[in-house]
Amino acid sequence: MTTALLLLLLAVGAYLVAVIEDWTTSGRFRLAAPAFAALALLGRESIVPRKSDRVFFETAPVLLLISALLAATVIPLTANLIITDLATGALFINAALVYVLVALLMAGWGPNGAYAMIGGWRFLGQLIAYAMLIVMPITAVVMRAESLLTTQIVVSQAGLWNIVYQPLGFILFFVASMALAFLPPFDLTTAKGELAGGVEAEYSGARLAVFRLGRLVLIITLAAAIVVFYLGGWQGPWLPPWAWSAIKILAVTTMMLLAGRYMPRIRETDLLGWCWMLGIPLALLNILLVGLLVLVLP
Amino acid sequence: MITAQALYIGFFGLAAVWFGIVVFRTFSMVRSALALLFSQTALGAMFLSMQAEFLGVLQIMMMATEMSIMAIFMVMFMMDPGGLGKMDMTHQKRLSLVAGIVSFVAAVAVAVFVDWGPIASVAPDAAQQTVDLGLELLGRSMLIFETAGITILTAMIAATAVAIPPVKRNPSKGTANHEH
Repeated sequence: MTTALLLLLLAVGAYLVAVIEDWTTSGRFRLAAPAFAALALLGRESIVPRKSDRVFFETAPVLLLISALLAATVIPLTANLIITDLATGALFINAALVYVLVALLMAGWGPNGAYAMIGGWRFLGQLIAYAMLIVMPITAVVMRAESLLTTQIVVSQAGLWNIVYQPLGFILFFVASMALAFLPPFDLTTAKGELAGGVEAEYSGARLAVFRLGRLVLIITLAAAIVVFYLGGWQGPWLPPWAWSAIKILAVTTMMLLAGRYMPRIRETDLLGWCWMLGIPLALLNILLVGLLVLVLP
Repeated sequence: MITAQALYIGFFGLAAVWFGIVVFRTFSMVRSALALLFSQTALGAMFLSMQAEFLGVLQIMMMATEMSIMAIFMVMFMMDPGGLGKMDMTHQKRLSLVAGIVSFVAAVAVAVFVDWGPIASVAPDAAQQTVDLGLELLGRSMLIFETAGITILTAMIAATAVAIPPVKRNPSKGTANHEH
């Protein structure tokens, strides 16, 4: 029952992400636009390129959707509204989302197209840049909660949200999440106008619809993860817990989608340079600071 | 008695072996690397079936990155990464056959003949396992763990160094030219 309800909420959430993304790109707020776009995609022919690696080509969009869905299973919307409260939840989110990389590599290699392949390998470079900035801030969050349970992480923020307790970790995790969801300015792997859609370039019709759905679920899952790790999850005054979760997740999603609209696309080498020479030292500093705070504060 | 747990372990074990075979049945480097990934993922699923939650999740997480990076190294170093030219991936067949059989026998011998001590009838809960593993890694097993980490890092730096084309210094201009 909980699983069905959460999957329904996830579907609604993914739809709202599509509406917000449409609003940030076109400036118009159209509630029906994603439905029409989906219908149009499903109505079109889904072309299979010549000499494609058929196994990868078919698997990639489905794997992208599955990895985002798996990550969503350990995210609580209220204290009880969670599919499975794994004892390794905080690690499991990361384990599931690594398969986004595998899906994008498959989508890049599979269709036998130059643009797609460049996009796919680019995402591998992108992972080398952002991966540590996902894992290290989570480590600091887990250090404070003294548990990998996502519900326990939310409970640990009862007095003070992690965005105040470890603001450095929040900034790093937020940026890394945007890179993981290949949102602008980190959309190197799709890069419209430069790679003609990159990994999406050779996909059309129903397969492209699944691919885009997977990405929408990925965005909302990451926004929910940010809320759980840094914004106190379902906690808040007056309103019921589920309402706080919904408001926070949608606010974070809007921030993620808006932030990139005002920045030029970052270069691959710059991304790697900044992440490794600035991001990782800052993430280590964050772990050190949180460690000291955990020792000093009661 | 065959339990559901034993069935899962058997299923994922067979899947791991099958994907391991697929690694050598394909000509495409990327297929080969990803087949190895799914073989390792099946091993992770075996850990999960054996109620070793942290180890299972960790195995599933680490292998995805590692095998993907291995894929690009294989594409970089191999002459025919797409496998369209039907390049034979196997070589030194007799040596590898002997080495394979010897290591298989050795691994089975270790599994059968080592005294593993009393076997726990009930696994501790997942949170307790994580605590135990952390204490183990920072205590008795720290040297092994760190040695393995440094070895892997050295191998990665060496592989990258090999992949970079040699630089020819031009003393008159004081600039470096890449030689291809």
